[in-house]
Amino acid sequence: MKLSFYPGCSLEGMANDYARSISAVFTELEIDLVEIADWTCCGATAAHSLSQSMSVLLPARNLAAAEKMGRDIVSPCAMCFNRLRFSQQMIQKKLFDIPWSVTGDIQVHDMTRFFAEPRMIASIKERVVKPLVGLKVVCYYGCQMVRPPKITGYTDYENPQTLDRIATAVGAEVIDWSYKSTCCGASIGIARRQIGESLAGRILEKAGQAGAQAIVVSCPLCQSNLDILQKDRPEKRIPVFYFTELLRLGFNKITDPQWFKMHFTDPVPLLRAKHFL
Amino acid sequence: MEHHHHPEASAGQPARQPAKERKRIGDRGDFFLNRIQGEAGVNISACYQCERCTNACPVSHYMDIKPHQVMRYIQLGWREELLKSATIWVCLSCEMCTTYCPNEVDVAETINHLRNIAAQSSVAPEYESLAVFHQTFLDVLRTSGRVNEIRLMSAYYSKLNILKEKMKDGSLKDEILVGMSLLRKGRLKLLTPRSRAIKELQKAHHRISGEMD
Amino acid sequence: MESNFKNPIGKVIVVGGGIAGIQCAIDLADTGFFVYLVEQTHSLGGIMAGLDKTFPTNDCSTCMFSPKLVQAAGHVNIKILPLSRMIDLNGSPGRFTATIEKQPRYINEEKCIACGKCAEKCPQKVPDPFNGELGTRKAAFLTFPQAVPLKYALDAEHCLKLTRGKCGICRKICPAGAVDYDQKPEILTLMAGAVVISTGFELALTATEGEFGYGRYRNVVTSLQFERMLSATGPYAGHLLRPSDGKVPEKIAWIQCVLSRDAARNRPFCSSVCCMHAVKQAVLTRDHEPDTQATIYFMDIRAHGKGFDDYVDRARNRHGVQFRRSMISQIYLNPENENLIIETFDHHLNRKIEEEYELVVLSSGFKPSQAFTELARQVGLTTNPYGYLSADFDEPMTTSRPGIFACGGIETPKDIPETIIQAGAAAAEASIFIGSARNTEITVEKRPDEYPIDAEPRMGVLVCHCGTNIAGVVNIQKVLADVKKLPNVVVASDFMFTCSTETQSKIVELIKTHRLNRVVVAACSPKTHESLFQNTLKDAGLNPYLFELTNIRNQCSWVHGNEPDKATQKAMELIHAGVGRARRLEPLYDKSYRVVNEGLVIGGGIAGLSAALTIADQGFKVYLVEKNDSLGGFARNLSLTLEGNSPARSIRYLTERVTHHANISVHLNSRLVSHSGHCGAFQGTIETQDGPVSIQYGAVIVATGGRPYEPVEYRYGKDDRILTQVAFSKRMIDDPSWAKRLNRIVMIQCVGSREPGFSYCSRVCCAAAVKNSIQLKKMNPEAKVVVLYRDVRTFGFKELYYAESRQQGALFFRYHPDEKPQVFDANGTLTVDFTDRSSHQDFRVEPDIVVLSAGIRPDEGTKQIAHLLKLPTTDEGFFLEAHVKLRPVEFATSGIFLAGLAHSPRFIEESITMAKSAGQQAVKILCKEIMTTSAAVAQVDADKCAACLICVRICPFSAPRINPDGVSEIPPSACMGCGICVSECPAGAIALKHWTDDQLIAGIDALFDERKF
Repeated sequence: MKLSFYPGCSLEGMANDYARSISAVFTELEIDLVEIADWTCCGATAAHSLSQSMSVLLPARNLAAAEKMGRDIVSPCAMCFNRLRFSQQMIQKKLFDIPWSVTGDIQVHDMTRFFAEPRMIASIKERVVKPLVGLKVVCYYGCQMVRPPKITGYTDYENPQTLDRIATAVGAEVIDWSYKSTCCGASIGIARRQIGESLAGRILEKAGQAGAQAIVVSCPLCQSNLDILQKDRPEKRIPVFYFTELLRLGFNKITDPQWFKMHFTDPVPLLRAKHFL
Repeated sequence: MEHHHHPEASAGQPARQPAKERKRIGDRGDFFLNRIQGEAGVNISACYQCERCTNACPVSHYMDIKPHQVMRYIQLGWREELLKSATIWVCLSCEMCTTYCPNEVDVAETINHLRNIAAQSSVAPEYESLAVFHQTFLDVLRTSGRVNEIRLMSAYYSKLNILKEKMKDGSLKDEILVGMSLLRKGRLKLLTPRSRAIKELQKAHHRISGEMD
Repeated sequence: MESNFKNPIGKVIVVGGGIAGIQCAIDLADTGFFVYLVEQTHSLGGIMAGLDKTFPTNDCSTCMFSPKLVQAAGHVNIKILPLSRMIDLNGSPGRFTATIEKQPRYINEEKCIACGKCAEKCPQKVPDPFNGELGTRKAAFLTFPQAVPLKYALDAEHCLKLTRGKCGICRKICPAGAVDYDQKPEILTLMAGAVVISTGFELALTATEGEFGYGRYRNVVTSLQFERMLSATGPYAGHLLRPSDGKVPEKIAWIQCVLSRDAARNRPFCSSVCCMHAVKQAVLTRDHEPDTQATIYFMDIRAHGKGFDDYVDRARNRHGVQFRRSMISQIYLNPENENLIIETFDHHLNRKIEEEYELVVLSSGFKPSQAFTELARQVGLTTNPYGYLSADFDEPMTTSRPGIFACGGIETPKDIPETIIQAGAAAAEASIFIGSARNTEITVEKRPDEYPIDAEPRMGVLVCHCGTNIAGVVNIQKVLADVKKLPNVVVASDFMFTCSTETQSKIVELIKTHRLNRVVVAACSPKTHESLFQNTLKDAGLNPYLFELTNIRNQCSWVHGNEPDKATQKAMELIHAGVGRARRLEPLYDKSYRVVNEGLVIGGGIAGLSAALTIADQGFKVYLVEKNDSLGGFARNLSLTLEGNSPARSIRYLTERVTHHANISVHLNSRLVSHSGHCGAFQGTIETQDGPVSIQYGAVIVATGGRPYEPVEYRYGKDDRILTQVAFSKRMIDDPSWAKRLNRIVMIQCVGSREPGFSYCSRVCCAAAVKNSIQLKKMNPEAKVVVLYRDVRTFGFKELYYAESRQQGALFFRYHPDEKPQVFDANGTLTVDFTDRSSHQDFRVEPDIVVLSAGIRPDEGTKQIAHLLKLPTTDEGFFLEAHVKLRPVEFATSGIFLAGLAHSPRFIEESITMAKSAGQQAVKILCKEIMTTSAAVAQVDADKCAACLICVRICPFSAPRINPDGVSEIPPSACMGCGICVSECPAGAIALKHWTDDQLIAGIDALFDERKF
């Protein structure tokens, strides 16, 4: 299976641990992954907000590069995924004229949907040597991965299942909850912190109510937002894992607590209590 | 047949409230409505004011014009009110409104488009910090093709008004502390690769939009 | 339309056995056609069978519905085919050949005696689909207690024997030997002249849609599941409990427009009935549990039927139901208690509020069944984009294939009375279509002459085991021994199942052999079985009134199952009473009289014209009486319908046909001035310009119509810039250049409707505003159209036009009745001020014109006809039908029917439909040669009558009258035998035959004192 990889800017900075865990998981699952050469930022909310043409052009060049390789794209970041799909659709609808060739022949996958395919789940299950039995988690998908359904292709936008399936495959106890795709406010967090904190606080509160010991995410923005904004709630802190971290725990590839040093809300005590470390 | 609710004013008496407080309908054409519908490809006329968007929106509390009212304002051609509203900057683009709209109105795209228009207009944004943040992001992006968080944050805080605001509301200290922690934990990288492809992109952008910046 | 082919077959296949199919089958079978009623499930009933109560009367649905079921089940000319689907249709109109696939029941229908043993002993519990899978039933089951046919079945998906070859208990214990595991699907070939499709609709919401957490959260249920939760026969035995923990919910929310009015989910139309459905459920909830809070989340309340707004107001004001005009997006779960959280934005608090509910009911829209979609494809029926058989404006029951008609929910989502009306109209269409084959395929029952009976009573008593239903508790042999000792009892015998077909011939033999002249059956309820045994008496040549049925099952073995001795004693005593009464019974003879095979239609509007043609096209003469000098009525005012049809063209066509129809005599400038007689044989006088004309008629259709309301509000009449929708529409067409000059117009809805003193919604005005705004926008796209409304009520597929109107740029603003728009003249400038409830803004418009949506009132002629025909009216002045749900075109007085605006405001196509339906009811009478009246009627003893008028006033059927001799007289043909006058008459002057004091007292005496024998 041949895929091209579009990491996005966060994976070079805030989420460099996510980047490392992804590349390890792909290696462990023996999947050939080629990073798109000289990729550019997807433009995120800023390009979308301020300049329609930039919001189409920025992802378009990356799409063109992947098409040249003839490889489907996997994107670990919900925002990048959304922007890539958006751009692809705008071009396919011929609403934009771009200087590169983008036919739309390749698929843009969000990484969770790729891993939630039945054959990938089977492949994951084969490699799990330390199932995360007794770890109660809720899966959090955020906005950009699932909405709007016309862009993302998620018809179960209210109750998506991809992360749930992955976390189940690695042995965790997945709790259904209503806030899987309720906005955490990450995109406004820096400029209007109060709004960001109130939205993220609500997600954390509801996760606790649902009985979760940890939150599983795939979006680097959601992860940092939910992870960092917990310092005001010392009693109710709840670790926020990338799903790839759970996979690697299950594969018994993370044994050193140092791996989690980039987390603000330290998951090590929980993992120790569960004997996963 | 007797009618208890016979309106007083129909006898020619003045209306309940003085006319100057009332908004006029029909004194503007459909130019603004047609422009938004055409440019954003959004069917605003379809709205029937069910308020599903406003109920779905996570930040409607912070909006001065609620999402369903945005649709009405556009129908009435109230351009200026919309462009100077807090709403267009508060919007998170979380797409809840668009997803749930029974009339397939792309509410989020509409608000985003208003934001696009506002950014290029002379109307001063109600929430300057947000407009500045997005602008800074694009500036960083344009110089290096990718966005490095340290470069982004330092550029953002070096905007005069932002720094002043952050100092005034006391959030500056907090944020510096968070920044230090991030750095310590290795979540911020000083040097990240740049993408050379940005030049190519800039050119294409200028050709398409005619924008020079 | 007359049939244009030769030798049609006088049979009709009705596909779908819900209320539409049942009504249509009865309306056809009663007019001389044989009907196959094809139903896919185990029982007739459809959605209505699952309802608990119905609005606006809160009547028990089953109680209303069962008699219809029994009527269809017992009809000699209706063949019910349960578990059957039409899979193909060949041949030509008038001579169709249908292929029917019948699934196995695994219980022989002929043999099953519905004792229920199989279900009792069946070890396999399965979720009960009839109860929305909230409760369980057995794999051997009866869908619901009143199911028709009343036969058990095995659930092939869950039965252990059928799935795994194990068990087999039911076959071992079935006392009738009815269980048959080897039944196979059968293919039947049926011939018929016409087909009616009445397959109805089902809920559009499925768990896979995922809307509002349905299928995900246990306390989110559909409206139909909630209906079962309210029902006494439902999963919680009528207690209002929630599924997750069986607690009484203290807060319940209803969400309206789930998969309705939702273009994004490809369901842009309105499902029409859900608003009233939810309001009714909320009212019933408050009745059940006064401490439970009921909140309805909605967009517009669509209460567009007769009395519906009153019902909504009562729900709000008297029952404390809360209404929230807000459409929510998503339901969240509180994991701690499985409560459900609804978030709305509160404009007064300017923040989101979270409300927690213990139960949420989703008012889901409807969709045609998958089976219908397949049938439509197979048979080649054109459906609308949403799969419905929506029909033409002037032929509202036709489909794309001649000879196939449609009615009920499959045509468009509709409620019960509209379904009943349309079923009658579809029957009329089919009946006209194959009219020449009337009475060619039906079974007419032939009876032997009665033999002379002895003066001395010779009684036969038949005691039923009812399998073990009775015999399992009551000692039958002891009862028999006791009965044999009673005087006059010539023979006493027992039967395993007295009601079975083979037993009937044994009973005939017994009667003949012993020359019996009284028969007492001790078995079950006269409600279900009396007519069966009376027919057996007739077959034996014995007068059917010499029969008595004693219920020793429901009243003995069922209620005293734990006390067999006492149950046996009670059975004997009840039989004593039955024998005691039976001894005094007399032969009575139903009176028969010739029917006048001519009809009278009062009113020459669209309804009257359509009704007259429905009757005349079936070969009966009609008098059409119109008080004005031309035909057409109210509809002459209308230029175009919402859908773009022309009422004027319809009127021209109908007038042309009526005027030249050989069977119709039209009387213009005429009025009915006298009326007497009874069903099938009325006489009256028409006052014409040429003097009075005496006529005789068997049935009457009242179609006196309506008139437009003349507003007194909003400066109407004082300013010629203010006009009604009717006038506006006409002027746009008459003077297009005027319409093109308009810059701005304001429309105001609900003028003279939904007001104190006239609480009805006029039903058509929202569509009129939508239609005229589209029309104006097409002529003049630049014009600003502002529509001020209270609720937009474009129900059904009319919602699509509301969308189009918005698309064209019309602006709809909602006003509150407490803040009516203000219309005034500001120094020559017409000005409208109003407050919009969505943006919370005060607005001012200076329009060129103001268009008022003035409602509909009953015609002035209503009062005179109501008085003359002794017909009831509502406070608003419309006629009051016999039953708002199940008898919408009938009056309580037999032989008189109702159609059009005289009933309530309605659209033209609805008036046409109603007229056809009323016409078909009239044909039921006119097609008969003779009619009989039951002999069990009230009779006045003239010597005792003091002419106090109590009977005249109290009779619900207006039967008694004071005759020329100055005493009360009750025409047997008008009496329904209810006995109310008998009990009310202060002089004891009235006796109810077959239920005389003498007979009743004899029964009571025998019950308490056997020495009197």
